[in-house]
Amino acid sequence: MDEFSLNFSVLALAHGLLITVVVTIGASLVAVVLGLIAGLIRVSSLWPLRWLAVAYLEFFRGTSLLVQVYLLFFVLPFFGVALSPWAVAIFGIGMNYSAYLAEVVRAAIQAVDRGQYEASTALNFPRLTMMRRIVVPQAIRSMLPPSGNLLIELLKSTSLVFFITITEFTTASKLAADATGNYLLFFAVALFGYYFIARALITPLVRWLERRLSSGFVREALV
Amino acid sequence: MNEPRIRFENAAKSYGSLTVLDNPETACNEKVMNEPMVRFENVTKRYGALTVLDELNLDIARNEKVCIIGPSGSGKTTVLRMLMTLEQIQGGVIWVDGEPLTHMQKNGHLVPASDRHLRRVRSKIGMVFQHFNLFPHMTALQNCMEAPVSVLGLPKKQAEERAAELLDMVGLSDKRNHFPIQLSGGQKQRVAIARALAMRPKVMLFDEVTSALDPELIGEVLNVIRKLGAEHDLTMLMVTHQMGFAKEFSDRVCFFYGGKIVEQGPPDQLLGNPQNERTRQFLSAVLEAR
Repeated sequence: MDEFSLNFSVLALAHGLLITVVVTIGASLVAVVLGLIAGLIRVSSLWPLRWLAVAYLEFFRGTSLLVQVYLLFFVLPFFGVALSPWAVAIFGIGMNYSAYLAEVVRAAIQAVDRGQYEASTALNFPRLTMMRRIVVPQAIRSMLPPSGNLLIELLKSTSLVFFITITEFTTASKLAADATGNYLLFFAVALFGYYFIARALITPLVRWLERRLSSGFVREALV
Repeated sequence: MNEPRIRFENAAKSYGSLTVLDNPETACNEKVMNEPMVRFENVTKRYGALTVLDELNLDIARNEKVCIIGPSGSGKTTVLRMLMTLEQIQGGVIWVDGEPLTHMQKNGHLVPASDRHLRRVRSKIGMVFQHFNLFPHMTALQNCMEAPVSVLGLPKKQAEERAAELLDMVGLSDKRNHFPIQLSGGQKQRVAIARALAMRPKVMLFDEVTSALDPELIGEVLNVIRKLGAEHDLTMLMVTHQMGFAKEFSDRVCFFYGGKIVEQGPPDQLLGNPQNERTRQFLSAVLEAR
């Protein structure tokens, strides 16, 4: 392996890593915001809203992520909407994962003790205030661990954006491996690269949030 | 009880030439004082085919302290839960302070209540639960401030002062910054009482508030309730298994069995010399268990 191709490959890898991080952060934000909204609408007391949320999450959860990304990228232009690959990557992956997150949100909200709803009624809370002040702050704690799982999943699915022209980390590794012939090295780098991003970005964030939101709850489980 | 809480003296109200009120002194005082604070009128509660309460009729006067006793499944807790609108009723009308609770009057008819009406009437009622149901993510003080601030829109400072006062009244001023998990059962229940009082209810409902407590913590909670009854104008409705407390505290005891009031009367009479066979059975079983 000559020095030129090694340097070139390292640069390309760093660039790919950066792109993966950017897409992961962007898609995660979209997923968390839309997931919270869809999850809350899913437990609304109005059935048309509930129905809408069910339709949304059935579509995004039930069909293939790659096909959804293809649809956004290759089919939408026929209807006059041409999105950049970046927008497709961030919103396509984000919306897909928001559907999974919506179910996490629903489960967490429904797991809040019935007594909390009854106490809120007895104190005459309007429904939205009750959700905002009493239910969601308690539900968020149990949303965090499964959400952490989903965000790590999301990180690993970002390699799909290869199919819409973006050279992200996996693609860069493959290209570097092809160019130098050193498959062991570059796939090992790719393998640990993802672990590194998850460990450096997602896990600490989730742990920090768990600690911050744990006041009033048993702490033993949080090391 | 003899001094009316509200007195209109020669009050009059007219719009132009239309006189709406003309010296309603007598009528109003009589109405306010004679009207029961809570009235159950033929109230029926069913779960599917199971009838939990069958055409219940019960009047509770202003400032009256009523204890409800009875075996489990007799519908006694359901009475409180219906009054707190935690259960829907299948028939009849509940009146609170002269107004229908789950219905509203429209053109002389009773129609199902709007959310606004329900919340207005419900604001007169406070409830304390068997399992406390404190907000676990808030301190004792925040528990007592939350509803006054976010439901009534009270300024934070004012709500905090009032919450601190109430915690002081229940003897917990040193625990105001503790989370519920750091409190004992009795302390939790006292915070729950302060939290309910922070909304200034006229009626307080106590649903087996000592049943989840260690025996030695029951006294501190009952003392707070005793104090409340003595110092505040509150109508109190209490489901309890503490016969001694019922005897000393209440104006009236109602014995529920099979969704009906089988017997009711002053505590001395009902607990000391019950007339109904089922009441006697229940009381002897309860007293034997001690």
